[in-house]
Amino acid sequence: MLSAQIESNPLLFPCHFQAIFVGFDSKPSMTPDALGSSILSQMTKLTSKPPQCGTCSTNYSIAVTVDSSLGCIQTRNLEDTSSWRCGSMGTTDFSDDEGVDKALADSLGGKVYSVVVVHGDREEVRAVVGKYRHAWVVGRVSEAEAVARAAEIFVKVFVNGGKEEGLIHGEFMPVGADGKIVLSFNLLNSDPQDWVYDWDFQSIDETLLSPVIEALESVANISVESQVLYHTPKSSFSHWDDEQESYIFSTKDLPFFVNSNEWHLDTSIAAGGRSKILQIVVYIPSARECPLLLQLPNGEISKTNGFISPMWGGVIVWNPKDCLKDSESQHPLRRTISQQDLQKVFEVVMGQFRQLFGLKSNNVYVGASGTSSLLASERGFTEWELDVLSRQHTCFNLHSCATTLGSLSRLVQSLPRMIIMDEIGKQVMYSLEAATLARSNASLGLYDSSAVSSRQARYLAEDAFFHPSIMSVSYYSFEHCFAVYSPFFLPVSMHVLLAALREWRRYKQENKKYLAWKTKVKKDS
Amino acid sequence: MRFKMYGSFRCRMVLLLLFLLLDCNFSNCLADTSSEATTHTNNWAVLVCTSRFWFNYRHMANTLSLYRTVKRLGIPDERIILMLADDMACNARNKYPAQVFNNENHKLNLYGDNVEVDYRGYEVTVENFFRVLTGRHENAVPRSKRLLSDEGSHILLYMTGHGGDEFLKFQDSEELQSHDLADAVKQMKEKRRFKELLIMVDTCQAATLFSQLQSPGVLAIGSSMKGENSYSHHLDSDVGVSVVDRFTFYTLGFFERLNMYNNDSLISLFSSYNPSMLMSTAYYRTDLYQRHLEEVPVTNFFGSVMEMIHTDSAYSLLSRKESFRVEIKMSADKSVPDKKRLMDNPSDLDQISELNIEDQHGALKRIWSTIQKEMEKVEDVDAFVSYGLVLIVPLLAVSMWLTW
Repeated sequence: MLSAQIESNPLLFPCHFQAIFVGFDSKPSMTPDALGSSILSQMTKLTSKPPQCGTCSTNYSIAVTVDSSLGCIQTRNLEDTSSWRCGSMGTTDFSDDEGVDKALADSLGGKVYSVVVVHGDREEVRAVVGKYRHAWVVGRVSEAEAVARAAEIFVKVFVNGGKEEGLIHGEFMPVGADGKIVLSFNLLNSDPQDWVYDWDFQSIDETLLSPVIEALESVANISVESQVLYHTPKSSFSHWDDEQESYIFSTKDLPFFVNSNEWHLDTSIAAGGRSKILQIVVYIPSARECPLLLQLPNGEISKTNGFISPMWGGVIVWNPKDCLKDSESQHPLRRTISQQDLQKVFEVVMGQFRQLFGLKSNNVYVGASGTSSLLASERGFTEWELDVLSRQHTCFNLHSCATTLGSLSRLVQSLPRMIIMDEIGKQVMYSLEAATLARSNASLGLYDSSAVSSRQARYLAEDAFFHPSIMSVSYYSFEHCFAVYSPFFLPVSMHVLLAALREWRRYKQENKKYLAWKTKVKKDS
Repeated sequence: MRFKMYGSFRCRMVLLLLFLLLDCNFSNCLADTSSEATTHTNNWAVLVCTSRFWFNYRHMANTLSLYRTVKRLGIPDERIILMLADDMACNARNKYPAQVFNNENHKLNLYGDNVEVDYRGYEVTVENFFRVLTGRHENAVPRSKRLLSDEGSHILLYMTGHGGDEFLKFQDSEELQSHDLADAVKQMKEKRRFKELLIMVDTCQAATLFSQLQSPGVLAIGSSMKGENSYSHHLDSDVGVSVVDRFTFYTLGFFERLNMYNNDSLISLFSSYNPSMLMSTAYYRTDLYQRHLEEVPVTNFFGSVMEMIHTDSAYSLLSRKESFRVEIKMSADKSVPDKKRLMDNPSDLDQISELNIEDQHGALKRIWSTIQKEMEKVEDVDAFVSYGLVLIVPLLAVSMWLTW
C-alpha cells in the first residue's frame, strides 16, 4: 500500500478533447486525422514544458468530427465515439448565445471538452465559450485559423482556466486547513446620523448564494453569515472633484481604507480554529462624503466601486440614491436597500468572489489568435472553471499534505524523547489513504472526488501536525538537571562514597590479616 | 505502558518516515510551483510581556506602548496577540487606578480604551507562548487567541522582561531558552506560517536570545549585547517605579512622528538608536534576511498595509431575460435541477470515515455505544423508568431468598 504512493511525476490529469468542424464543404482535403494531428501539434506548442501541476498530461486524446453536407466523418478513435448528431447545426441561430449553449449541451453531453467550428457566411469571426464544457467559433474562418483557435481554446481556456501558466498562486486559495470557508457579509453604515440602511439578506442567500455554494461543494465547505454594523467610518481620506461632482478616492488610498479599529468584523462564531474567514463588506458612506467613487490610475471612474484583498475579502462602496438626506426629521431615516440595487451589489460580490479564487471577474478572454467571450453562469462558476478549480485545489492540497507530513516526520525524528500518541499515527495513516484515493481519482479524471479526497487528506495531515500533545519544549538542559537534582543526591552520594571507601580500606586491612593468619597456619602445620 | 506504546509506535513512525522520504520526490516536483512567489498579504503582531509584580511596571508599559503604536499604524485587534500579566492597572499599589503611563508627564493613558489582552495573568507561560507560535492549540481555543498567520504574513514579535545569557525569564518561574525559540521559529517556517519575521527583544543581554536562529526570513534586534544590561529610562516619582525602558522609549519616539502613510525604512529605525543614550548597544542580526533594510518600510512590520486589487467588472449571474423575482416561494421551483456534479466513488470516502469511527471505539466503548443506541430507541422515558423501579422489587426478593 505504501509503495503505491511512490510516484515522482507531478499530478497530471487525463483530458479528452473533441473538435467538430461544421460547414467546411468546400475543402475536401480536410480529413479528421489531419486536423487532429495539426490541433495536437498546436496544443503541444502552447503548453508549457514541463507541465504544471493540475494541468493535463501531455498525451492528449483528440477526437475530430467533420460534419459536412456529405455526411459525418470521424477520426478512427476506438475508445470514444463522438455523440455528435450530424447535421444538427444547420438551423441554429448564432446570435443567441444562451440558446446555442443549451443546444450544444444537449447534443454534446457535456463531459468532454469540445470546440465546434462553424464555417459561416459572416466575415467577422466570433468565439464564445459556453457555461458547460464546450465553445464555438462562428464566422468565415480558414482551416489554419480554425485549428489555431481550437488549440488555443483547449489549452488556454479549458486547461489553464484563462490564465497564461494555468497555476493559481497560494494567495488565491482561500480555503482553510479544515476545508471550510466562512463568508461573512457585513453592511457598514458609516454614520447612522445621516441614514441607516438595512438589507434583506435572507432572500439573496437563498436565491443567489446557495447555487454558488453548491457549485463549490467539492472545493470547499462554505457557510455564510451576515451582520449590519453602525458607526464605522473609513480611515482613508477622499477629496471633492468638481468634474465628477463627487468625492473621489484613488487606488493609493485603498490599502488604508479598511479601518480595523472601528470595523469589528471579526465577530464570527461559526468559524472554527482552522477555517478561513472571507469578509465581504458593503460600505455606505456618510452624507459628508456622498457620492464616493473610486478613481483608477488611468483617470477613469471604476464601474464597480469595489476592490479585494487576497485572503481577506472584498469591499464595495455603495452610494445611496442621489445622496438625499432627510434634513427635516431629527431621527435618521431607516431604509432598506432595494432589491435591484442589492442584486447589482451582489453581482459585484460575485465578481469579487471569483477574483478571490483566482479567476477573472470579467467575461472576456483575450488570446493570441483573438478574443473570446465567456458566458456567465447562474452558479457563479461555469463547469469548466469548476474543473480548473478542482484540479488546482487538488494539487495544492496534496502538496500541502505532503509538506505537512514531511515536516511532521522530521520533527518526530529530531526529538527522540517525545512521545507520540497513537491518535496522531492513525491520522497520518488516514491522511495517506485519502491522498492515495485522491491520486487514483485524479488519474481516472474524476476532478470533483479527487478534490474532496485531497481536502480530507490535507485536513487530517494538519490535524496530525497541529495535535496539541506535540510540544517540543525541552526545558531539560544539562545545567537545569544538575541544578535541580544535585541538592538531593550530592550530600547523600558524598556519604555513600565515603562509607564505601572506608569499607574498602577495612576490607584490605582484614584481608591482609587473614592472609597473614593463613600463612602462619600453614607454617605451623 | 507508556514506554511500550512509544516503542511500537516508533517502529511505525520509522516506516512511515521511510515512505515519506521516498514520497519527497513527489513533493519536490511540486515544490517549485509555489516557493518564491508568495506576496505579503497581511501583518501580525505578537507582543509579550514576561514579567509580573509591581516593580516590573515598566515592562508592561513597554508592551502596552508598542500595542498602541501598532494599532495606530493599522494592525487590527484580530491580528494582534497580546500577552500580559496585567497586574499593574488594578494593583493596590497603583496610585492611579486603571491607568498605566509610560512617561512621567502622564499625558498618555495606555490602558485607556480598546485594549484587548489575549493571554493574561497566569496564562502567560512558555508553553502557551510556544502554542501560539507553532499553532498547536486544543480545539476549544477561540480564534482570538490563535496566531492565524499564513505564508504571506509578516509577523512582529516583541518580547520584554528580564533576561540573561540565552534565556528570558517568564513570570518569575520559568525560562524561555534561545534554542527553544529557534526551534519554534524553525517549525513555523516549515509550516509556512510567516513570510518574514521581525523579533524585537528588550531585556538584559537581549542579543543572546536570538543567537541560535537559523531560519531564513527572520530579522532580529535586541536592546543589548551579551554581558550588557538594558536600563530603564526614568523614574516616575509619582507612581513610584520606573515607567519605561530606554530601548522602547527611543523606539516609541521614532514612531510617534509617523503615521500609516509614511514609508520610512527599517534602517532609519535601527540607526536611530544611540548607544550612549541607551547605555547599551542595540544589536541587530540581518544574516538571515534577504532584503536590504533600506528598501523595507517600517510599516511592513509595524503597520498593516494590505495588497488591494480592483474589481474590474461585475459578474452578471442571471441572464438578461429573467428578472429578479422577489417572492421566495417562486425561487424554490425556479432552481432547475442542474446536472449535479457527480461525485463518483462516494463509497470510498464513506469507508475512510467508517474506519475512523470504528477505530475510535474500543471494545468496551462499542458495548457502551450499543447500550446508548438501545437507550435512544426508548421513546417513553417515564414508562421505562417506572418499569425499572418495579423490576427492583422482585430482584430484591430473589436475592434475599438466595442468600437465606
